[in-house]
Amino acid sequence: MATVFMKWLETSPKNYDRGINILTLGRIGRVKERISNSYVHPGMHVLEIGCGTGTLTTMMAAKGATVTGIDASPAMLSEAEKKVTQQKLEERVNLKYMDATLIGERFAQASFDLVVSTLVFSELPPDEQRYVLQACKKLLAPGGRLLIADEVVPSQALAKLAFYLVRLPLVLVTWLLTRTSTAVLRDFEASLRQAGFHTYRAASYLGNSLVLYESHLTQGIPPEVLAGERQAELPAGVVGRLEHQVTLRTLLLDLWLLFFRIIPPYPKIRPGLYALGNPDTRSPVLVTGNFDLTVRRLVQAIDSRLDAWVLVADSAGINVWCAAGGGYFTAEKVIAALKASNLEQVVKHHALILPQLCANGVDGWRIRQETGWGVHWGPARAVDIPAYLAGRRKKTDEMRWVRFPLKDRLEMVTVTLGFYGLLILLPVFLFWRPMFWPVAFSLLGLSYFYAVVHPWLPGRDGLYKSIPLTIVALAGLFVYIALGNSLPTGQLFHWIVGLTGLSVFTAAELQGMSPLMRGEQANWGWEALIGLSLGAIYWLIPLITGWR
Amino acid sequence: MNTQPTLLSSLKEHLQLARELRHLEIQFYPQKCKGVWQCYNVCPVGCWTPDYARRKVIFHDPEKCIACGACVLQCPEDAIELK
Repeated sequence: MATVFMKWLETSPKNYDRGINILTLGRIGRVKERISNSYVHPGMHVLEIGCGTGTLTTMMAAKGATVTGIDASPAMLSEAEKKVTQQKLEERVNLKYMDATLIGERFAQASFDLVVSTLVFSELPPDEQRYVLQACKKLLAPGGRLLIADEVVPSQALAKLAFYLVRLPLVLVTWLLTRTSTAVLRDFEASLRQAGFHTYRAASYLGNSLVLYESHLTQGIPPEVLAGERQAELPAGVVGRLEHQVTLRTLLLDLWLLFFRIIPPYPKIRPGLYALGNPDTRSPVLVTGNFDLTVRRLVQAIDSRLDAWVLVADSAGINVWCAAGGGYFTAEKVIAALKASNLEQVVKHHALILPQLCANGVDGWRIRQETGWGVHWGPARAVDIPAYLAGRRKKTDEMRWVRFPLKDRLEMVTVTLGFYGLLILLPVFLFWRPMFWPVAFSLLGLSYFYAVVHPWLPGRDGLYKSIPLTIVALAGLFVYIALGNSLPTGQLFHWIVGLTGLSVFTAAELQGMSPLMRGEQANWGWEALIGLSLGAIYWLIPLITGWR
Repeated sequence: MNTQPTLLSSLKEHLQLARELRHLEIQFYPQKCKGVWQCYNVCPVGCWTPDYARRKVIFHDPEKCIACGACVLQCPEDAIELK
């Protein structure tokens, strides 16, 4: 089957990158980041077998290595050539049209420090795999490494089932969208060992279905590698390993937290020192709070992109910004976590990277004075950590500033609705059943509409923003009538009063969930006043006019 | 025991805090500033701009301030207050 797919690939190199990204749920990008960040150094000679459209080739060349890329598809190579020219890397990249089985004859013995291949071996028949692995052995210089990333079938039964359940529909979707597919490897670790390599899994993704194998020729690892060598066993004092994973527990927890995040008790994890990936004595130390979601999002943002130590301090199960603002996350908590852990023995440096957003409560100078450790204020968002570290802890303004993008606005509106929605809708459901659906739809509609248009509504205060929101809501009502739907005067009156009330409430309360809020609770007085006035209008006007 | 907070007293306290927060303003004393730029480094909304030539900082965009207090806490020279 693979050959049929390969024919398609040859005709559609642009689709290939997209297809592979869908098929690996974007993880192939992480594999490539990992390879170029952890294994490639300036001056290295690297051979990439199956360079495809040249994504990894150019990443490695940009790191200062001299890269030879081979591929059996001229169309792919011409795409790769374009990338190389665009990034002006011609001097360090050498692209060759060549089949993988020929590398043993065309290149000199021991001429590469690193041989890399992603998603190629699974496309080769078993005999060719063996042949190419033998050739790799010849080409590697002493102390050189072979890195192979490929899709594999997980060995455990349950993981295997999950793998096929996810993979089959993905393969179909990917195929339909991009005419791209890949094969999977079986028992590849054994093949590597048979070929005479010392192999281990340097990283695995997607429930062990995408694996990066690191192989050495000799068991004895050369000294320059040893300094930064990975520790398979965790040092004493390390609580455990953190890993990004999706389980039934995390799914249920995410669902609960989406609606009821502000209701205690908050899910938390045990404070202490954790390993993320395979950190060593030179890996960075990231400090964070012990809210379950905070830790999981941190792990998700950087897992398999880099190796790090994570020092989880007790923040009472609250996210770092709120905990720091509320006095739950302080310098003392960080110092306590540092002292209680074995960090002094685990790493050879004295640098802590703190989340920038806890700077409102964690006194950096106090940590410096009390412990002698340097405090570096990392980026505001965890997703920027890899870029921040890659740039030697240089922070751009983009990394510094808090934003409130649509995704976050929708999330926070849902969080707010989980609590206030219940507060409003439960009484309506119990005591005013006929109005339940109209109120529920109005509340949901107004809230999500507000979330979408929030940046364009004038004013910073939620109470001001409620004025345009009310106007829009009432305009909607009149458009509904103008379209030929008739509402009796009494009901129209109900709708006007109700929509005004809900609009004011929605705008004023949701603004309080914005990271850019400032004492929005002070609006409660005004909200109560507006509510009371609306109530009075609702009660008085029918009395005067004799409606109902 | 009237030391025990009641629902009404906690609510009042909460509103009082919110009102204070709303009216807090940054007081910056440039003569104390030695150009450490920690305020610039930790401000999540971009109120501060480093003045590299004079080794000082400029309180550039006061209207952006959300009164989070990060700059106040991290300034080693006590050159910033939130009042």
